[in-house]
Amino acid sequence: MNAKQIIEKYGTLLAGVAVFIFLAIFANNFASGANLLNVLKQVSFLSILAMGFTFALITSELDLSFANVCSLCAVIIGFLIMSDVHWALASVVGLIAGILAGMINGFLITVLKVPSLIATLGTSAMANGFAFMITGGVAFVGRWDPNFLFLARGKIGPIPVLVLVMLVALIVAVVLSTQTKTGIQLQATGENEEAARRAGINTRRRKVLGLTISGLSAGVTAILLTANLSSAAPQMGGDYMLLAIAAALLGMTMFTPAKPNILGSFVGSLIIVMLSNGLVLLGAQYYIQDIVLGIIIIASVAISATVLKQAAFSL
Amino acid sequence: MKTSRLLKPIAMAVAGITLAGQAAAFELGVVAFQMSSETHARCANAVEARATELGWEAQILNSNGALQTHAEQLDNLIQKGVDGLVVCMSKPVEADGQFEAAKAAGIPVISVMSGSSPHTLFDIQVNEYGVGADAALYLLGMINFRGNLLVQRFEANAGTRIRGKILDSVLSENTAVQIVGEHSMARTQSWREDVRNGMQALILQQTGNFDGVWASFDGQAFVIDDLLLAAGMSKGDVPLISIDGGEEAFRRIKDENSMMTATVSIPFEEMGTAAVDAMQAIAVEGVEKETLVPGPYMFMNAVLVDASNVDEFLSE
Repeated sequence: MNAKQIIEKYGTLLAGVAVFIFLAIFANNFASGANLLNVLKQVSFLSILAMGFTFALITSELDLSFANVCSLCAVIIGFLIMSDVHWALASVVGLIAGILAGMINGFLITVLKVPSLIATLGTSAMANGFAFMITGGVAFVGRWDPNFLFLARGKIGPIPVLVLVMLVALIVAVVLSTQTKTGIQLQATGENEEAARRAGINTRRRKVLGLTISGLSAGVTAILLTANLSSAAPQMGGDYMLLAIAAALLGMTMFTPAKPNILGSFVGSLIIVMLSNGLVLLGAQYYIQDIVLGIIIIASVAISATVLKQAAFSL
Repeated sequence: MKTSRLLKPIAMAVAGITLAGQAAAFELGVVAFQMSSETHARCANAVEARATELGWEAQILNSNGALQTHAEQLDNLIQKGVDGLVVCMSKPVEADGQFEAAKAAGIPVISVMSGSSPHTLFDIQVNEYGVGADAALYLLGMINFRGNLLVQRFEANAGTRIRGKILDSVLSENTAVQIVGEHSMARTQSWREDVRNGMQALILQQTGNFDGVWASFDGQAFVIDDLLLAAGMSKGDVPLISIDGGEEAFRRIKDENSMMTATVSIPFEEMGTAAVDAMQAIAVEGVEKETLVPGPYMFMNAVLVDASNVDEFLSE
């Protein structure tokens, strides 16, 4: 592998490492154990959503509904728990809601042939509407089962449960996408659908699977967000829309350049959260953070534009 | 060469003084829940201005209306080890874990218009129940306690929800006034569009059938003001009453080409200043919190502003 190839594959990762070293030197407390755990906790929500979004993107479909689906799953969980349903059952129902949303997206895209950009924007709006319908705009707050809160606030030994959940999700997602027949079929479907279909792959099913995993990720994140905030509000996942897409696009600039990949999305999430945390520790005002995020999005989209256009507009 | 030789020690001395000053400066973290909302920005900017006057370092963060971002920003500031935190329109229920962590880390937290928390020093508030009553009674007085109202609510925020409930309570005692159309703002990020769409439909539907308009905060009233003017109405046709105050609200109350009649002005700037002054007293001078604010709230006064007294509030 020559220098050019190394930079192509690992340039963004190396830039992330450089940022880490810079922050460790110049930002007080950045490299402390407590802060690094804090960063990992914060990255868990974003990375799980970004990994889900990446599964849809791997099949060359764009899921713009995951953030609002996440909010909908959260308010369903909140509604059920506040209605005295056991938190475990409520969480399962939340996950099912996410899976169903993903399957509906899959149906719209593969059976009704609605472009994913349009279909998922539609389901996103519907999820938003249902979330407001359930809550009336008012967040569910109140007495939450401590066992439920443990999912996001607890620790096993010194490690926060959130971090463990994220690591499990990461391992499962990496193995599924790179080491299994299903994962390889997902990638083949995204890279050349016609060729994959002629090779005997049921591309429709693979696309539905990619979108369903995205919905499942929204459900998992909904559980963690609700437990972390002791609250279920109708737009609580909305802020992750841009960030998760940015993380996935940033991920496409490394490891397998111009291709969506799970590990890249995870590192992309890590870089975004690390920068956000580091800028606070450096004393940067709020508008600097938005400017930096904008630069990241523009740079990563510029590098990954071809794949994004293909996913969004089937170009 | 001579000049640079002369300047070098001066520059070093200045740098030394600056660094010493920085080392000693009180570091204040300020988190506003949504800076795109004028009231949140007024609060945060007032905190920053007062902190700067005191020679403190103030870092403002904007949670963009996102609960998890809000929690993460508080976590980051705690990790940074700031000397104190002021939060504007925070969410004590959702940020309970962060406030608890701040308390454990010895970081005092003062909130503004947020609600109380066992982990913060106190919350600076106006009495929302009183504010709601002032606005409701003024509006009913303007229409002689008889007629029809259009109402714009915001149920997702505790303060504005209370104002709406007080309006309902006042109306329950004054049954000659009825709500003929109401819209509840649901979104927090694209809220202006939400208000515009909802109220435009109601104004069209109820043309000639409403005598007054109530909005749960001034930002909504500004949108409604423009809609009423576009519908061909002019000042005095129907009273438009809201709550919050601020330069734009006062300008519209004074302006003959605006429908805005009155607002109940909440002193967000004074609240921000009071938060910093209280932080100075408690965290720097060692004054006992209880001697400054005995309970969970520091209450401030809100003032009803209409044409009769708006000049006192308008800037030169």
